[in-house]
Amino acid sequence: MTAAFSLSGIAKRYPHFALQDISLQLPEGQIMGLVGVNGAGKTTLLRLLTGLAAPDAGEVQVLGHRLPEEQVAAKRDIGFASEDMRLYRSQTLRWHMTLVQRIFPAWDETYADELLRRFDLRAEQAVGGFSHGQRVKALLLLCLARRPRLLLLDEPTTGLDPVARIEVLEALSDVLRDEQRSVLFSSHNTHDVEQLADTITFLHNGRLVDSADKESFLDRWRRVVCQGTAPADLQQWPELASVRNSGSLVEIKARHWNEQLPDRLASLGLQVQRVDSMALEDIFVTAVRSGAVA
Amino acid sequence: MTNNASIIRLLVAKDWQLFQKQLALYVLAGIVALCLLALAKPWAFYLGSLMLIVVVVAAACFSISASLMVERKEHTLAFVMSLPVSPWDFTIAKLLGNLVTFGVPFLVLCLGTLGTVLFTPLPDGLFVYALLIFGYVLFAYSVALSIAMTVESEGWNTFAMIGSMVLINPFIMGLAQIDAISSQIEQDAIVWSTPAVAILLTQVILSVAVLGFTVWHHARKPAFY
Repeated sequence: MTAAFSLSGIAKRYPHFALQDISLQLPEGQIMGLVGVNGAGKTTLLRLLTGLAAPDAGEVQVLGHRLPEEQVAAKRDIGFASEDMRLYRSQTLRWHMTLVQRIFPAWDETYADELLRRFDLRAEQAVGGFSHGQRVKALLLLCLARRPRLLLLDEPTTGLDPVARIEVLEALSDVLRDEQRSVLFSSHNTHDVEQLADTITFLHNGRLVDSADKESFLDRWRRVVCQGTAPADLQQWPELASVRNSGSLVEIKARHWNEQLPDRLASLGLQVQRVDSMALEDIFVTAVRSGAVA
Repeated sequence: MTNNASIIRLLVAKDWQLFQKQLALYVLAGIVALCLLALAKPWAFYLGSLMLIVVVVAAACFSISASLMVERKEHTLAFVMSLPVSPWDFTIAKLLGNLVTFGVPFLVLCLGTLGTVLFTPLPDGLFVYALLIFGYVLFAYSVALSIAMTVESEGWNTFAMIGSMVLINPFIMGLAQIDAISSQIEQDAIVWSTPAVAILLTQVILSVAVLGFTVWHHARKPAFY
């Protein structure tokens, strides 16, 4: 399968932050959710993927182009919108659409009109009068109507009201009906990621914590509640991310769940009472706190 | 180094579209100043020349701050950089965009001033003096533009822009101290003295060198960040 992008051994250093040893790949036609707290390195990663930043080490390939050297060719097929990106306040959305249309020959006017209606945007309105949600939707319209092969979105749903958030997520879902198009979007919101992504990647302190397809991610992690007292060395088991004593109960979060785990815990005198699936948010927080690096 | 000519053209046109109304106002104010100069009366000359200098300096500052500093501050640069442009394309587009947005009002007002000197009762000796003052503005503009393109700090940009433009005052006073130039101002003939030619050439060469260095510096950057 062709890769929409691949990063191998990437490092990027800034005075107070460093992205280290990132190797990551997104197969074409898939949607990847990039989850991390503020300052985790999500924006830096997206900048590397658009050729805006050059890595200090490693190699970036996007849609078959080596970046940043071939960024012009790559950006012809990339739609990139970031949370801190703004349009020209004094100009209308139509002015922006005309500008982008002149640059991208694949601009789909019919789809742009459909998105205008769907997002309830007025093309003749100056962008300065747009709300935050309208601004995000306008940026998304400008990205989607050019029919990019790879869509890179930095925090697309941050600060949106629930209605706007759903509209944006639905529009992204539609993009994926075309199996040749790929999406990478970063978010704090694990619910959005869980809803939309095929693959999930956790980033923390500039390092890759974990990356896997959504189903195996959710399958691998379990919360196990036991009665008894956890031995001191239990925390050292590699398949466990956290062990917490609470009175006579022990809460264990397993990053590599397997059917033998309850028996092994029982052999230590722990009585397994419940085994639950974990929500992505819980998995993310546990993974980050445990400091695991992929 | 290959150019993305069609997109560079679009980005230059974009800057022109964004700022043309404000620049037209500067030209209009400059024409009012020229009308005052054309009256050839001492009070009108003083008021007109002061207004003209203020307008040209303000147009230069507006061009730089609107196309670089404000775009950076309001994050519209991020939108431009997301388009299929390389740092080299972006540098050339910004340089040309600025030279167009400032160059058009600058040339209109410079030629208008020289025309006013030649075709009104004002002494023709002012021709060289006025040209040297415009030459200084061009040099100060080149320095401020170069710094704005190279340094992201708003504070340094503002300092460079205001600092270089404010120095026009000592420059004018300095010209008045050069006898070969000041003695010709009230003559009714254009006299190209050696110091005047040397200063004008220095201004043009330094302006081109500063902008050339900026382009060279940016051409070596593989990425924006």
